[in-house]
Amino acid sequence: MTPSTLSRFGTLIAFVLLCVGFSLAAPQAFASPANLFNLVQQMATLAIVATAATLVMTIGEFDLSVGFAASLAAVICFVLFAQGYDVWLAVLAALAAGIAAGALNGVLVARYGIPSFVATLALGTVLSGLAFGLSGGESLFRQVPDGFKALGRGDLFGIPVLALWIAGVLGAAGFVLAQTEFGRHLRAIGGNAQAARLAGLPVRRDVVVTFAAAGGLSALAGLLLAARLGSVQHTMGEPLLLPAYAAVFIGTTASPTGAPTVAGTLLGVAITGVMVNGMTIVGVEPFIQRILTGVIIIVAVLLRRFGRRAA
Amino acid sequence: MLALRGIAKRFGATNALADVNLSLRGGEVLGLVGHNGAGKSTLIKIVAGVQPPDDGDIRIDGRPVRFHSPHDAYAAGIRVIHQDAPLVPGFDAVENCFLGRHYPRQLGMIDRRAMRRAIAPIAAGIAPDLPLDVPVALLSPTQRQFVRLLKAVADKGRLLILDEPTAALPAEDAEAFYEVLGRTRERGTSILLVSHRLDEIAAFCSRAVVLADGVVVAEHAGADLTPAALIRSMGGSAAGIPRDAAAPAVAPVVLALEGLTTAALRQPVSFEVRAGEVVALYGLAGSGRSHLLNAVWGEEKVHSGAMRLEGMAYAPRGPRDAVRAGISYVPADRHRSGLFADFDLVFNKTLPLLENYRRLPGLPLPDPRAERAAFLVAAERVAMAFGSPRQLARTLSGGNQQKLIFSRWANRHSRVMLLDEPTEGIDVLARATIRQIIGAIAGDGNAVLVSTSDRDEALQLGDRIAVFRHGAIVRIFTRAEATPELLSAAAQAREPQAA
Repeated sequence: MTPSTLSRFGTLIAFVLLCVGFSLAAPQAFASPANLFNLVQQMATLAIVATAATLVMTIGEFDLSVGFAASLAAVICFVLFAQGYDVWLAVLAALAAGIAAGALNGVLVARYGIPSFVATLALGTVLSGLAFGLSGGESLFRQVPDGFKALGRGDLFGIPVLALWIAGVLGAAGFVLAQTEFGRHLRAIGGNAQAARLAGLPVRRDVVVTFAAAGGLSALAGLLLAARLGSVQHTMGEPLLLPAYAAVFIGTTASPTGAPTVAGTLLGVAITGVMVNGMTIVGVEPFIQRILTGVIIIVAVLLRRFGRRAA
Repeated sequence: MLALRGIAKRFGATNALADVNLSLRGGEVLGLVGHNGAGKSTLIKIVAGVQPPDDGDIRIDGRPVRFHSPHDAYAAGIRVIHQDAPLVPGFDAVENCFLGRHYPRQLGMIDRRAMRRAIAPIAAGIAPDLPLDVPVALLSPTQRQFVRLLKAVADKGRLLILDEPTAALPAEDAEAFYEVLGRTRERGTSILLVSHRLDEIAAFCSRAVVLADGVVVAEHAGADLTPAALIRSMGGSAAGIPRDAAAPAVAPVVLALEGLTTAALRQPVSFEVRAGEVVALYGLAGSGRSHLLNAVWGEEKVHSGAMRLEGMAYAPRGPRDAVRAGISYVPADRHRSGLFADFDLVFNKTLPLLENYRRLPGLPLPDPRAERAAFLVAAERVAMAFGSPRQLARTLSGGNQQKLIFSRWANRHSRVMLLDEPTEGIDVLARATIRQIIGAIAGDGNAVLVSTSDRDEALQLGDRIAVFRHGAIVRIFTRAEATPELLSAAAQAREPQAA
């Protein structure tokens, strides 16, 4: 195997080895249909938040508010349920809030030139305050319509509903990035923002739209998590942030120029998901799971570096 | 001091260097010239210890040396000075000189006075006017270049390798730079000067070698060391053929500027450009000529005045409006402002006019086959040499990268073509081709504005030449009136100004 194929497909090979390893270690428990169903359930929210992160990283920015936006959307939705609002109205209001928050991030970055790291962290803090206030700091679970819960539970023709969400959202995002003029613009902005602007691309508008889309996707992820669990805490989205970016970074190791791709991100989500799920089944203690996950991210990125240098 | 014998380096199937012999005495200035891809960069990397040669030996003071890393070369006194080598902006010249060295200490504290005592005498010898106590961020680009020289010499540099040292400096400062470099040489420091600016090589070096296809093809010294002789050895033609067929005065006016001012253009600018006409905007760096292009491109805000495009009011809110109005633009500094280095050639070519390559009209989905076809046509039109449409833009030579940016606009009729320093930092042959392309663009009936700091380029391309100084046009020459002396006098006339 040449170094270039190793760097190209190494991440995928690592994923396959991981699956084979766990299947051998725990043939009944890991490779069972029930566990695969479970695995998809666990991965869905992360996959969608990681897709939001992928979009923003494509234009060379960061969005640290994704987890907070997810929490706020879920809180808004459940507060409206408690007031007796219709499912669709509550869902649309929650998504609109996510999109608006994302657009505001985009305006702060594109119009006012605030580094995205700072802008999204600050706005994310505001969002978490709003979620705290709206929920009163309490767990929300009353008057949740069954129709809403169905969005994140059960299956359609034997396929888990959440798997369909993953396919739909990631498929759409991947198509936009790879096949459309807008996606081409985003990749150009990430490659060289100044050259993109001087080539006449509508950079500001594209940046705002990207952040808005990331906000909308984060809100969607928050709603699906809420639908699956049937209850909402105002901090529930926060733990998604770091794994989402870890997944994107693992994904970039599978792309030839190191640029983020949706397919790579899906691979990153799958690797982290399988690691956590498999280690739990095999009985690895949670603290060791965390240490190993961190180590694996570093090793993946290092391998990528060496592979590149050799190629 | 330095002697290279039989140096060879292969990358895959290509011979980057084959049997290069070269020697440099103490206190000598040797020029190194050649086209992009001739092997200059590889040679520098080998001398600097970045890459080992496949064959041949390097001797310093007669003793064979083997560099395993840049560190070894540094220890041998070799200093490569890149024009954009980083300095710490908040540090002054003395502190920058001590970066990476052991600080003199007293009672465990850094002894700043001892640092200054170590640097000041050297600075007084080579650049007496350089302020040593001011953060380098506040110095001019030329002064920062002096700091780089000072740093190299102060830390026991014996051989300085300078790669295009004046490329980023205002033209008027080149002389001052070479004065400082001359005093550096007088200290016994050897200098290897690599530059596309052959007049500087001829004026400053005692000897120059010409590299072509990884071999030293000629060596020039004394009366034989002239720009024309160097160009002949490089295999080019020295003749800068002026464009013939100036635009007829009856051609319609395409772009009319009426009393235009911006933040940088303080005096109102008014002139007209006709179809098929090339107007060269000539002036020193910072004279405002590029700001005029930016204003037409919608990148710089117009304060007062107006523009007309084929008689219609034209007020772009951004480059997007300019593209839609049929204006095309090739920016200066292609690496920072033009190129998408990690993307392939087709991506780079079609990006600004993607909507012309849709699968179905009205649907914003680019059709790769249409893009590829358009790329191949455009690449031929700009005479671009490439391996595959899918290769990354960073793998092209400088001249071909510039042609790639030209190719973006090659499939359409542009009403106005804006070119900012179109031949900066590319070799003589590619430069000639690009000037021919510019002539052809005008010949197709486009109105062309070329901003340039190269006087010969202005004379060669411009049907008319507008000379800029201090944010204003001082005079517009017709081709018949313009001479090199008149242009220089107009561009450089000193005005009383606050220092």
